[in-house]
Amino acid sequence: MRSDYIRLYKSVHTWTGILSGMALFIAFYAGALTVFKEPLARWSAPPRLQALTPLDQANSLITQALAREPELAQRFVLRLHEGPEVAARLLWERRDEAADDHDDSGLRRFGADLDAGGALRVQELQPSPLAGFIDVLHRVVGLPLDNDPNRWFMGLVSALYALALISGVVVLLPSLVKDFFALRLGKKNLKRMWLDAHNVVGIVSLPFHLVMALTAVVFAFHDQIYWVQDKLVHQGQWSSTMQRGGGGPPKAQAPRDPAQLLAPAALLERARAEAPGFEPDYLQYQQVLSPRAVVRVWGKHPEALAPRAQGGFVALDPYSGKLLSRDYLPGGQDTPNTWISSFFALHMAAFGGSTVQWLYFLLGLAGAWLFYSGNLLWVETRRRRAAKDGTPPTQRRDTRLMAAATVGVCLGSVCGLSLMLAATRWLNGLTPALLAWHQALYYGVFFAALAWAAWRGAARAAVHLLWAAAGLTAAIPAGSLLAWGLGRPWAQNPVLDLTALTGALALVWMARATARRVQQGAADSVWAAQAPSAAATAA
Amino acid sequence: MSAADSPPKKPSIRSDWISKTLAGQLLGLALALLASALFSDLTRASLALSPRGQLAMWMVAPLWLGIAGGVYFFRSGLQAWLWLGGATLLSAAALLALRA
Repeated sequence: MRSDYIRLYKSVHTWTGILSGMALFIAFYAGALTVFKEPLARWSAPPRLQALTPLDQANSLITQALAREPELAQRFVLRLHEGPEVAARLLWERRDEAADDHDDSGLRRFGADLDAGGALRVQELQPSPLAGFIDVLHRVVGLPLDNDPNRWFMGLVSALYALALISGVVVLLPSLVKDFFALRLGKKNLKRMWLDAHNVVGIVSLPFHLVMALTAVVFAFHDQIYWVQDKLVHQGQWSSTMQRGGGGPPKAQAPRDPAQLLAPAALLERARAEAPGFEPDYLQYQQVLSPRAVVRVWGKHPEALAPRAQGGFVALDPYSGKLLSRDYLPGGQDTPNTWISSFFALHMAAFGGSTVQWLYFLLGLAGAWLFYSGNLLWVETRRRRAAKDGTPPTQRRDTRLMAAATVGVCLGSVCGLSLMLAATRWLNGLTPALLAWHQALYYGVFFAALAWAAWRGAARAAVHLLWAAAGLTAAIPAGSLLAWGLGRPWAQNPVLDLTALTGALALVWMARATARRVQQGAADSVWAAQAPSAAATAA
Repeated sequence: MSAADSPPKKPSIRSDWISKTLAGQLLGLALALLASALFSDLTRASLALSPRGQLAMWMVAPLWLGIAGGVYFFRSGLQAWLWLGGATLLSAAALLALRA
């Protein structure tokens, strides 16, 4: 390939990378945790307040709740299992009408069960916002709310990320064979080593990154693309069909009598017959009193890919058990719908079980490191060398600021997430404003880290913040140990604690290595502790 | 680069950042949307509306960003506009012919 192209694409890679890198770090670090959203929700759930209604009394629960809470006619959920994250057998939400579709901050949640005497008991629930908020940070690159403008910003970042991937491959391709098997370790040329590592991680995980970049752009802009295509491609047919819910025109019929609902056991049998191996988790009822009543039987299939992170569903008529749709049924989809679902599954690790989830967790962390290292390379490329007499030069202002921002944003988000994880179970039940508390903890630490990095300079702050991150991450298993010692009735997850402990040890190792570099590395670097003060007096 | 360079050397690749980027973004998006329209029209008989519309939506971003990423291989901004503009006109004509 001609060197002109390499030069052009190097510029594209530099600019798209530096503009998107820090936002992507947060998206990937939080995204690696979001792979385990369900175990996190189980682990962080507050203890259940009342016993779950036995499943064979579910229909009595449903009819009583429908009579007392008319909003259930819109939609409600019946949970089928009894894990610690299940706060009540019957659940529903009250949404602030003005809020965005994906914005859960104004949501109120309720649960209902039957007490020992068979009477209905309704309670407002305070589920832990932890897993949901980590997912929000992942979806909108560290912003607090998953709403339209924030998702468009995420989409812009993802588009830049896609261009950075393409340009990065073009730059690397001509020397790929030579560079791929080379990791030039050594003290002589640290930048070469970082570049080699950046290239190896980038090229090895390229398919993963292409999937993430392209699907994230779609997640951000699907409404807009559908809108244009409705005019250009479907001549208005798309919006008119989707508004009707995809089915035919409603049939004029008398309202349904909820006493005639099929029992959950019958619905499950019906769902399993559609896709053998399908394991239902919960039933989502919609418009249950209307002629268009539908129940979505949500669940997972151990051997099939799923259209969503939480699995997929088969839609049934809750009165007759008639099949309404298997377009989203894992293990029961036709070829076109399997194709569409695979795009979601590939982003959300909704295939291949826990092996793939751990693989995605590691690829996500490696991705976060890829963006961190990309920013470091940007800084190193612009560093000023020492003069012949050895006096350290004043580094450019932009490289000092970029180094500080990279350290502050990346390590700040690591610290903030670890603090939330360490604190979340102790907050349960203390305050009704749980989400606000989680946000305050995360953003408090995040902005403190950013300010610290700006004040102390990248080099020293990196050491401090890595130690802080190690301490906060170690606080997660330490908290579990303490809770166990105090006899708190919390769900324990040794794998989570062990993962956090491993992460804390890795951060300790990074802190020590960075401290060594700061003390002993070349003085003509933004990574030298002396540079900022020397620069300040020289300036 | 001057004209005095040795003859076998090819002319240099112009950066033309603004015109190439605009060509890649705008014409890339237009081409991607037209391609999705062609796909939808050609599969109308074999696919139901819902999967057809979803697949058409999903194909826009990869095509758009693929073109936006590849556009810097054109020798100049003008070349990018001519080739991509020509492709856009051809796809639009194909779509109109298909619907006529």
